[in-house]
Amino acid sequence: MIVHQGKTVEEVLCFLAKHENCKIIAGGTDIIIQMREKKISPDALVDVSKIEELRKIQVSDRFIEIGGAVTFADIVNSPIFDGKLYGLKEACRLVGSPQIRNKGTIGGNIVNGSPAADSIPSLLCLNSTLVFKSFRGVREVKLEDYYKYKEQVGIKEDEVLTAIRFRKPAGYLRFAKLGLRKALAISRISMAAMVDLDEEKRIKGITIASGSLGKYPMREREVEEYLLGKELNERTVEEGLEVLRKATDKRLKGRSTYPYKRRAVERLFREVLRGVVS
Amino acid sequence: MINIQLTVNGKEYSLSIDEDKRLIDVLREDLGFIGVKEGCGEGECGACTVIMDGKTVNSCLVMGFQANGSNIITIEGLEKDGNLDPVQQAFIDVGAVQCGFCIPGMVLSVRALLDENPNPTEEEIREGISGNLCRCTGYNKIVEAVHLARRYENGA
Repeated sequence: MIVHQGKTVEEVLCFLAKHENCKIIAGGTDIIIQMREKKISPDALVDVSKIEELRKIQVSDRFIEIGGAVTFADIVNSPIFDGKLYGLKEACRLVGSPQIRNKGTIGGNIVNGSPAADSIPSLLCLNSTLVFKSFRGVREVKLEDYYKYKEQVGIKEDEVLTAIRFRKPAGYLRFAKLGLRKALAISRISMAAMVDLDEEKRIKGITIASGSLGKYPMREREVEEYLLGKELNERTVEEGLEVLRKATDKRLKGRSTYPYKRRAVERLFREVLRGVVS
Repeated sequence: MINIQLTVNGKEYSLSIDEDKRLIDVLREDLGFIGVKEGCGEGECGACTVIMDGKTVNSCLVMGFQANGSNIITIEGLEKDGNLDPVQQAFIDVGAVQCGFCIPGMVLSVRALLDENPNPTEEEIREGISGNLCRCTGYNKIVEAVHLARRYENGA
């Protein structure tokens, strides 16, 4: 195996173009396990974890851009994610353990594509765009499409996920997860919601996304459509939950874990929607 | 083989390693720091915890070549001038050690926690050591030891 510690994105792109069956390593928290279990056997490995450009969180007037190799700990420690964006911070705070958060990256969370990836529902609610670079140029994909159309738009062998970009939100983002225990738990279900309310507590903007309630993390559009324009109160939250149940019934019926998830999702749904108000 | 340079416990090393070695393998096999323990090998147990550039990591989830240019602290590097680190002393004084296998990683997680937050609450302590499993079920004594270490360090 040929290994290389990348110093700049350009240099990594050059390395990727030159070597076949090459994998990118950042935090290593997933890929090293996959290599040891012989699930993958790359001929070359290029490290992007020390590249400055990929470790930045940039804030402009309208957008926030998180570098692909930004760690969960970086997000937890950044004041940028207090206030309206707290849901993303909460999701990152609940990842693994201190050691995993110190190494694991947001880019890795996305491209590894686990249905349980903790940071994804929040990023879906923010309508995030992924920026991939290769020698062929720059390519942008909506995070939502990345999972829906993975075959067509998934990361290519010569690409690096350089950044995740989203517009500064109008509403408040909240996240909740259910794990089997507190630390190191892989989410059994997770849910994020971002809600923008007018003065009369009417919902003028809403995005909701779930993790582990389908083949991949996804927006719950039927619930969003149902709640849009309504007043956010106990009754509408319960009605929204009923819409969610119908949607997940269609997706997950027959799965052995579904009767449990169907009940368990209730609390998460109420928690995130109550959270956006308080 | 690939050449790397790294600092371990304040001493610089320049060595040639196998490309597929993890940091834990380099530390134990190439450099002899056998205080670093391998438990699960998949980042769950924290026995292989070391401090890398000021932050705790599972050394079983870092490739050796990724540590090029890094500053590593293992359990062997905590004592100074023949004196144990206050965290080590507190673990002994409280009796927080049973079989001992988790202790090097546990002590390093506590060291990193206190370096970042000299006065952690009970909850922050439990969160700080949540990536280190002790199967002798000794967590209460360990938490007690962290409170004692905090008192040793703050001189109260």
